[in-house]
Amino acid sequence: MSQHALTLSRRDVLRAAAAVAAAGTLGACGKSKEDPKGAGGVVSVDLWHGQVDTGKAAIDALINEFNKSHPNIKVVGGGGGVTADSMLQKVTAGLAGGSYPDVAYIFGSDLASLTKSPKVADLTGALKIDDYWPAAKDAVSVKGKVRAAPALLDSLCLVYNKKLFAAAGVPAPQAGWTWDDFVTTAKALTNPGKGIFGTGWPGVGDEDTVWRIWPMIWDLGGDVVSGDGKKVGFDQVGEQALGTLDRLRSDKSLYVDPKPGSEQLYQVFLGGRMAMVATGPWQLPELIDNHLDYGVVPLPSYSGKPVTISGPDTWTVFDNGKAKVQAATEFVKWMADPAQDIQWDMEGGSLPITKATAELPQWKKHSTETNGLDVFVKALDSAKVRPTITAYPQISQNLGQAIAAVLLGKQSPGDAIKQAVDQCNQVLAVPN
Amino acid sequence: MASVVGTFTVDPRSRAAAKRRTRNESATGWAFVSPSVLIILGLSVVPVLWSLLLSFQVNDLVSPSEWVGLANYKALMKDPTFGAAVEHTLIYTVLYVPLSVVAGLAIAIALDRKIAFIGLYRTLVFVPFVVSAAAQGVLFSFVLDPEFGVANSVLHKVGLPAQGFFSDPGQALYLLVAISLWSGTGFCVIVYLAGLQGVSTDLVEAARIDGAGRFGVLRHVVLPSLTPVTIFLLLFQAINALQVFDLVFVTTKGGPLGSTTVIVYFIWEKAFKTFTAGYSAAAAYALAVALLVIGVALQLYRRRAAAR
Repeated sequence: MSQHALTLSRRDVLRAAAAVAAAGTLGACGKSKEDPKGAGGVVSVDLWHGQVDTGKAAIDALINEFNKSHPNIKVVGGGGGVTADSMLQKVTAGLAGGSYPDVAYIFGSDLASLTKSPKVADLTGALKIDDYWPAAKDAVSVKGKVRAAPALLDSLCLVYNKKLFAAAGVPAPQAGWTWDDFVTTAKALTNPGKGIFGTGWPGVGDEDTVWRIWPMIWDLGGDVVSGDGKKVGFDQVGEQALGTLDRLRSDKSLYVDPKPGSEQLYQVFLGGRMAMVATGPWQLPELIDNHLDYGVVPLPSYSGKPVTISGPDTWTVFDNGKAKVQAATEFVKWMADPAQDIQWDMEGGSLPITKATAELPQWKKHSTETNGLDVFVKALDSAKVRPTITAYPQISQNLGQAIAAVLLGKQSPGDAIKQAVDQCNQVLAVPN
Repeated sequence: MASVVGTFTVDPRSRAAAKRRTRNESATGWAFVSPSVLIILGLSVVPVLWSLLLSFQVNDLVSPSEWVGLANYKALMKDPTFGAAVEHTLIYTVLYVPLSVVAGLAIAIALDRKIAFIGLYRTLVFVPFVVSAAAQGVLFSFVLDPEFGVANSVLHKVGLPAQGFFSDPGQALYLLVAISLWSGTGFCVIVYLAGLQGVSTDLVEAARIDGAGRFGVLRHVVLPSLTPVTIFLLLFQAINALQVFDLVFVTTKGGPLGSTTVIVYFIWEKAFKTFTAGYSAAAAYALAVALLVIGVALQLYRRRAAAR
């Protein structure tokens, strides 16, 4: 009997142990729904900033400063473990799994499709939106509501290598130049014997391939979508814009970057093998570090009038409870204040988000010290942004394939644009 | 008489005790395995069932989903992009699997002899297999860069025209096959080398005494002995080939112009670029069923072969 009792109790112990182990395993699976107000009534804000190198250093310093001046909020940066390029995938997976950050760094072109999620907080009325540049304001407004705070502002201008221009005996480009001038200049600068290209374009067919074409389309009187949003707006003028790329290709003055990410495109420019490249202000620190003798001019146009694109990135706030949204909003608002904006701009390579920042003496000093920065800021006056519509990623995908087909010489501009227009119109015909 | 009855009928009390004992034992058994059962259920079975449900829905992972029945599968059948992805995957598989297995066998037979530094040769053949697909992708996109790569500069030196490589829609897929062969053959070599150690030396000697030449021994003794290994390799390599993704992701991202969009890349693109997760899950299930069919077919073939 005692033997029996002993056996039973041993089993009981084992069962209990197994149950504890199982409970532990299950408990570890779910996200612990902790109280938003942790020890001492401090709200913690989980921030996925996706920055690396100088950008990370800049944001870390700002987070430190914020945490010191706001004892009731603790911002925890660096979460997510991805760079900004993969942030959308990471955040979407997080939203599907119910475990998402309080603030994430989201590209402006992805914001609209992300706002389909009810978890994206509505910041209407919470930000000083009228202080922002129009481009920044447009980029965070979706269907008339403010759905994020601007995180980074840029504009697309043309950077050129002065040494290569001098070597080829070509005069430096001037503001107000045309795409015809650009094509001729690029051809004159190309030197196959030395492996030097006039200019370059990302060839993968992703958004990096696409966004550079919009200023050309806008300049020609086209748009991404028509006024009523039911059709694309580039069916008439797309062929001419792609035709310019086709001329560059047939002149062999265009370096087409086959790799995703466009890193190589800029490496070719940094290495002195490319005379001109369209890029944003974030490229300048690297150019200076490499001691490249460069100049900056506005993008060429067809009409002679200046037009460019701005691709603002955003701080998107997610709803993890009222207290957290409030704390997160406080943080993103604070970041856009001129005192912080100026630090982020000078270290992180952004343009000022507000006009007030651009007026600060600190910025003016920085701007005169950084060759070409004023050209990027001035371009903001004529900068437009991509529309914040949910169909944009699909339009981008189709147009990207068309541009890639032209860059690789596989399709004529007319055929390529016709195919893309048909595909995009199908996408836009679906109500959303 | 009572004893006779006793042998034919079971005492109900002892039956109850036996039942109780079994129940106790099985409960203890379950208690022992429950942690792993929970892990398997939670990490394998539940996601598999969840994605099956997902494939019957319209779901963008962020907004509430909608049940659409078989609509995703119907759309999949008509989607030319998916058709192209299947075609690319099949071309890749049909080239990669036989070539890697045949080359693996040839190299294994060549290395199955006692010569100086044999260990070094065997290691060198296996090294590319150890390199991760991501690293291979980065390595080869440097080598094969159309403007600045080593490959084109070598071609230029020997007077051949420069190639587009990953920028040429006609070449990219075949280059991926070549890169996979560079790394995947090493695995076949190692498995075949192990298999060759198991070929009975008695049989080989007997065949030699009967007058079989080297080719005869290979054809009638070695190859039949290696059949189970070959079937394993065919299945393993086919599953690997049908699921190729990482190399594509690192080198071409499905391009140029969709020429290297394979099924798993298509699935990734639909789930995480256009956020049509339901549609993506349907494509994933189509692939899973195809893999299952191949696995079962090879299994049946092996059983039939073993029965003979």
